[in-house]
Amino acid sequence: MAPIKLAVVGAGPSSFYVASRLLSLLPRSGPHASSLKIHLYDRLWAPYGLVRYGVAPDHPEVKNCTHKFDEAATDPRLRFFGNVNIGTTSPFSYALPLSLEALMPYYTHILYSTGCTVPILHPALPPSRYCIPALSMVHWYTQHPSKPSPPPLDRTSHVTLIGQGNVSLDVARMLLTPPDHLAKYDVPMPVLDILRRSAVQHVSIVGRRGPLQAAFTTKELREMMNLPDSSMVPLDPALLAQVQGASLTRQQSRTLQLLQKGSKNKPGTTAKTWSLDFFRSPTGLTTPVSPSDKARLTLAHTTLDPSSRAVPTGESSTLDTDLVITSLGHRSELSAPWYDPALGHLRTVSGRVVNADGRVVRNVYASGWAAMGARGVLASTMMDAYAVVDTILRDHFPGEDVQTTAASGPESAADKAAEADALEVLPKEVDLDAIPPEVEAGLKEGRVTDFEDWRRVDAEEIRRGEELGKERERMDWEEAHNFLTKTRT
Amino acid sequence: MSARTLVGKFAACPPTRIAFGQRQSLRIHLRRPQRCLSSHAPSQVWLARSAALPVFSRTRDFHSSPASCHGGVTRPKPGEGIKVHFKDSKGNLLKTVEANEGDDILSIAHEYDIDLEGACEGSVACSTCHVILDPESYDKLPEPEDDENDMLDMAFGLTDTSRLGCQVRLTRDLDGMTATLPAATRNMFVDEADTSLARVAGAACWDCQNYSSTSHRFM
Ligand SMILES: Cc1cc2nc3c(=O)[nH]c(=O)nc-3n(C[C@H](O)[C@H](O)[C@H](O)COP(=O)(O)OP(=O)(O)OC[C@H]3O[C@@H](n4cnc5c(N)ncnc54)[C@H](O)[C@@H]3O)c2cc1C
Ligand code: FES
Repeated sequence: MAPIKLAVVGAGPSSFYVASRLLSLLPRSGPHASSLKIHLYDRLWAPYGLVRYGVAPDHPEVKNCTHKFDEAATDPRLRFFGNVNIGTTSPFSYALPLSLEALMPYYTHILYSTGCTVPILHPALPPSRYCIPALSMVHWYTQHPSKPSPPPLDRTSHVTLIGQGNVSLDVARMLLTPPDHLAKYDVPMPVLDILRRSAVQHVSIVGRRGPLQAAFTTKELREMMNLPDSSMVPLDPALLAQVQGASLTRQQSRTLQLLQKGSKNKPGTTAKTWSLDFFRSPTGLTTPVSPSDKARLTLAHTTLDPSSRAVPTGESSTLDTDLVITSLGHRSELSAPWYDPALGHLRTVSGRVVNADGRVVRNVYASGWAAMGARGVLASTMMDAYAVVDTILRDHFPGEDVQTTAASGPESAADKAAEADALEVLPKEVDLDAIPPEVEAGLKEGRVTDFEDWRRVDAEEIRRGEELGKERERMDWEEAHNFLTKTRT
Repeated sequence: MSARTLVGKFAACPPTRIAFGQRQSLRIHLRRPQRCLSSHAPSQVWLARSAALPVFSRTRDFHSSPASCHGGVTRPKPGEGIKVHFKDSKGNLLKTVEANEGDDILSIAHEYDIDLEGACEGSVACSTCHVILDPESYDKLPEPEDDENDMLDMAFGLTDTSRLGCQVRLTRDLDGMTATLPAATRNMFVDEADTSLARVAGAACWDCQNYSSTSHRFM
């Protein structure tokens, strides 16, 4: 077969799912083994994207998917290059900047799996001392290289989360779970210290629509209900009565049942509380004159129009709060190639990247959140990845009828036509083992990490964790760099 | 050495037929993670084509990956186990296999190289092991627990007889049960992506953009 030398930009779950699928469909024991090479580039020094730097620490089972990724990385045809930022602006000074143009001559195929790394802000709530995006909280408790400053939890008794999705509930759970319960998980010690000093007494979770439209899933809601020393402020019975009788999906009716039952701890029996504030849409935040005072959040009251959109009723109220955390979803970076501002992610058709004129760019693909936007759990990210692999193989073996997953669907004639008219940007023949000289030099310097580096850091993090009686103790880049330099033979 | 002998010599696992094209179907080899290097039949991977194509097999490092055995279950002697039929999402029979009492559907699928994922490895945290059971077998099972139902809420192609494969353990009276892989289509992602138009414009729906699968849209 003609070679597939694939550069993957991003090394999150989508990237690893594509890589492991390709490696197993063209197995090392098979006849095409050595004409497949996969190189994963990530701007972060560690692999796994949001699985390492997103998934909440108290959900360790979710991270089991990394075992499959590690297994894929045992295949010598896969290489990982951490600390390489593909594109113009590198968010971390130590990451090696490499332009896409510098990468292209080395690869026959490119896959963008860069995710959606930019939090969507609320127009009425610009970031400030009193208002931060949920992603900054997540980056703080996962020790992401972006290193946001820790939230001032010792001076915060009331938190308002804007948005009612799972990220919101993750943050609420982190704030309300007793730190001693979190201590055994992968929560960095400095984070635990701050959580132990937290003064948070109440978390309001605000959404502009009702209980049937909330995006959180039953699992996450149930975890909130079962928090050991917090209770939910009961919902107005009228609110729940209102939705009775509507034709409900399975998930909606299970959510409603949970909401009706309320939290395990009865209201009034706990010092810490949380509430779901439905039908409220923020219109502004007044910051206090004296730092000891609270900020004042103005909320427009809303109702649903016939197409289930939130519309203002004309009424409003205010909420005094110490910290507003917005959790309104994410988009891809503006500077990402083939970014479509109207979509908030890359422009693709069946995984093939499409330029602004609607033409397919041959052998350039996108997968995961970079291709579908910031929605979907790991299961959907995985299915999308497998479908993209089918597309790659269809393009590579045009005579065959490749369908290895139900998600890819039968190949359409339109797809084939688009592919035939594709724009050529990548070489057909390349040196299968070559990498850009900048990356080669970076590896030598120890600035660029490889998978073996990660394995060593991973083992060391787990070892340090064991000493502390926890899952792992994370390193940041400075520590990891020191550790790797010291132990490199 | 010909491609055929090379493949035969170094294939790790039996082939899984997971391609179902109308014109021509490919037999694609799916290697499950950390499988033992068994003496099963050689892979048919791309074999049809391999005669015409250059040989790319190589053996370097082949034995370096850890060898543990399949789904962690033992196969019963033929004729003595509990029979399970696995079907693809279109209802075509993939394989009929035999397993022992107490084995779960996910491990059995892995043992026999059925393309069923298990991303969280049986911890009820991912729903990638979702299977659809035949109604008779479904009714013989105890009701799913809350945590399983919570994950099923997020499963794609959910039906009334859906279960998580990792939570279904075989009993004698389930002999002959059918487990069908769920149907999934790319439209699930496309439909979702369309709504992002509104969201980037700052319009609708900012309270439903986080990572939930909002599976109610899919049903
Ligand atoms: C806070 C949070 C918690 C979540 N928790 C769960 C959960 O519990 N369960 C669940 O099923 N799902 C969860 N999800 C959803 C899940 O994380 C996503 O489905 C999945 O991570 C998407 O994978 P991806 O590979 O497309 O993107 P990502 O995981 O974001 O990976 C993208 C990678 O690309 C890299 N990158 C970006 N730009 C560049 C560049 N220019 N050069 C080099 N590298 C680049 C990034 O550093 C990153 O590593 C969560 C999501 C979030 C935001
Ligand atoms: S394997 Fe994850 S839920 Fe069954």
